[in-house]
Amino acid sequence: MIEELREKVKKLLAGGDVELVIGWEKGSQPLSSTPVFIDSPEEADRLVFDSTCGNNPAVYSTKDARRLVKAGKKVGVVVKGCDARSLSLYVAEKQVKRDNIVIIGVPCRGVLDSDKVEELAGGREVLEYSEQDGKITVRGKDLDLTFDAKDVLSASCLACIYPDAKEYDIFIGEARDGKPNKEQNAAIDEFEKLSSEERWKRMEEIYSKCIRCYACRNVCPSCYCNECFVDQNDPQWIGKTPEITDTMIFHIIRNLHVAGRCVECGACERACPMGLDLLLLNRKAAREVEERFGYVTGIDSGEKPAMADFREDEKQNFIMG
Amino acid sequence: MVRLEKGKFDDFIRSLAEDYIVYAAVTTGGKSSFKVVASAGEIDEGRLLTDRSPKEIFFPHSEVLFEYDEDGIRETEKAGKPIAVWGLRGCDVKSLAMLDKVFGTARQMPDNEMFEDPYWKRKYDNSLIFGLACNEPRSSCFCNWLGGGPHSEDASDIFVIDAGDVFLMQPVSDKGKAFIGKMTDAAGASAQDEKRAAGASVAKASGADEKKAAELASGARAMMAEPPDLDGLDERLKGIFHEDIWEEMSAKCVNCGACAFVCSTCHCFDVQDEGKGGKGKRIRIWDSCMFPIFTREASGHNPRPLSRDRFKQRVMHKYSYFVDNYGESLCTGCGRCVIVCPVGVDIREVIKRVLSFEGKGAR
Amino acid sequence: MKDWQPKILAILCNWCSYAGADLAGVSRIQYPPNIRVVRIPCSGRVDPLFIMKSLQSGFDGVLVSGCHPGDCHYLSGNYVARRRFAILKPLLEFIGIEPERVQFSWISAGEGERFAEVMTKVTNDVKKIGPAKRLVKGVQK
Repeated sequence: MIEELREKVKKLLAGGDVELVIGWEKGSQPLSSTPVFIDSPEEADRLVFDSTCGNNPAVYSTKDARRLVKAGKKVGVVVKGCDARSLSLYVAEKQVKRDNIVIIGVPCRGVLDSDKVEELAGGREVLEYSEQDGKITVRGKDLDLTFDAKDVLSASCLACIYPDAKEYDIFIGEARDGKPNKEQNAAIDEFEKLSSEERWKRMEEIYSKCIRCYACRNVCPSCYCNECFVDQNDPQWIGKTPEITDTMIFHIIRNLHVAGRCVECGACERACPMGLDLLLLNRKAAREVEERFGYVTGIDSGEKPAMADFREDEKQNFIMG
Repeated sequence: MVRLEKGKFDDFIRSLAEDYIVYAAVTTGGKSSFKVVASAGEIDEGRLLTDRSPKEIFFPHSEVLFEYDEDGIRETEKAGKPIAVWGLRGCDVKSLAMLDKVFGTARQMPDNEMFEDPYWKRKYDNSLIFGLACNEPRSSCFCNWLGGGPHSEDASDIFVIDAGDVFLMQPVSDKGKAFIGKMTDAAGASAQDEKRAAGASVAKASGADEKKAAELASGARAMMAEPPDLDGLDERLKGIFHEDIWEEMSAKCVNCGACAFVCSTCHCFDVQDEGKGGKGKRIRIWDSCMFPIFTREASGHNPRPLSRDRFKQRVMHKYSYFVDNYGESLCTGCGRCVIVCPVGVDIREVIKRVLSFEGKGAR
Repeated sequence: MKDWQPKILAILCNWCSYAGADLAGVSRIQYPPNIRVVRIPCSGRVDPLFIMKSLQSGFDGVLVSGCHPGDCHYLSGNYVARRRFAILKPLLEFIGIEPERVQFSWISAGEGERFAEVMTKVTNDVKKIGPAKRLVKGVQK
């Protein structure tokens, strides 16, 4: 698979079809891959793709780096299913011209939650990592463990519906169609069974761990505002300390800003250095958007994003009669 | 050197907690940090590094400097007891010593007054630091690049080695010597003061203990890869300030503050007033040079507008500007930033890239 | 607690609900004096941040009121607002904010009577659940 990807990328670059390809290369840590920018065919052999490729490379097409949009050059992006949805969203939101990107889909089996791997390793440092046929092996000093990839997948992947790109130019292998996933709403259904008080308590538990480093926001493909509302200081809307209400307002408002735009890639949760459960709210908002407006983010780049659209005869049962 | 049987560790912590506010590594919800403990059972001994940096013991994420209302200004109260920190790794001990240079050293203010940070000093000055040797450094550790080492005693008051079923304690500073002295005295005078004696169940370390300690130290050192030569890194960085290499090195950085917030030496802060009606408080909070708002001026102009500029600032401050100001790099090689970076930026690779750069401006 | 009176923020659209409040006033219709009014140009201007900020600052309830669907002065402001609130409302309930705290209504400039009814209902709802504790800055659970 990886050889095919490298060959395709080499051809694209050599033929001048793209100026740059964004993908992943092996990271310096055993459980990490890191985004890489390939601009010549010789470099293409650096590309990798496995369950450690947790970043959403679409981010680099709108973030400060702006290597992609620079001078409107044509750029290739190697994408998992969720990353492809981000690109479709960008096209729908007119952040990227469809003609300027070449979407290269790769078959995704889900990505790791390194916290889960570390938990299984029981405190022993993972020095080597390999995967084959849905099995993952980690090695280190006094450590040689093999387990099912399913046991350590990111929460977003366990609930994934579209593992492979829906809109793409090239696909390595055969793209699978989206399929229903009964895990998708499991966490929110479970949460909704709790009383209002218990829910609030859980939320406080989750967000009291936040250190306000904004890693979640900065790796989020849907968070591309030039200036985030938390960075505004005239007026300053929310306090900057990790005080619980300020922290929660940051997360809730960020969540509303990405409602109907979140592709549930889970990059935020994997980026969080404090291990916050960030997907719960995201998933809830996505379900509300889908149920009320019949909109799923990033599936059709021709469709108007839900929160920028309306219908006159919409359900309004939440409004006082 | 004295030895403390692990069976008596709990007594030791409990008796320490009588005279000190004791901080040690505690894990809750899968993430560890230094928290106040009352007994040994709360301490997570399995961790090499805490996820959160221990700088927050003395320089918290947010710290109320004073409160105000119609009646005037009230300073926040001092804690009654001094702070003792158990189990700081060599890198973290060194970080605190660096921060002490920033906050604890008097510096001249414009009107010839000398200023030192009272909030830092009142906590750090009377503190007792128990350094803890690393017998098995992680692959992300690079303390030996920066003059540290897994068994470095530098800046600890008492240096502790975990030698299986005993802790070997080596007093380093005068404060440490006094503390150990008191403990051994107490052990002798056990008949008079039962409670003190229980906590002070230390004995003089044997020759075998000293040998074990030396073995562990050389074993740990051998586990770490040979460091590159960082001599002249600060000058080299200045030389390449205007080069395109920064574009390449910072390309994947997304400018979050994760590295700065887990960093044990990053100490930039912001001051905010939070008030309502006639009362409020002034708070000091961590800030990060990675955020665009960090340098944005009142006019709206931002001297560091690009991701690249901010990335460069962090590297320059650590390995060049701080060297100019204090004679050493503002990095102790704890590797926390390497572990948490969500996009896999490895500061060691950045340093190596700078060292190997041969374009214009390099040596 | 017996004497406690809730503080309620009413965010009212200039073109309808605000005029509705006026009409209630000039018609001498009685309603609870618990509301503080903020006038905005359109319900579409209401950023969820306003609502969160109000709760954080200590309001016990927030009511947002705009023009009936089809009546927006700017043609579609209230439709866009409706989508936003449609997500905000369940999300707030999800995290454990009582549903009574944040409410929405449509009130036209001619509905002075209805304005008074809505204010009475919101005030009674909030009175029933008591003072806000969640999301209020400086208040320990």
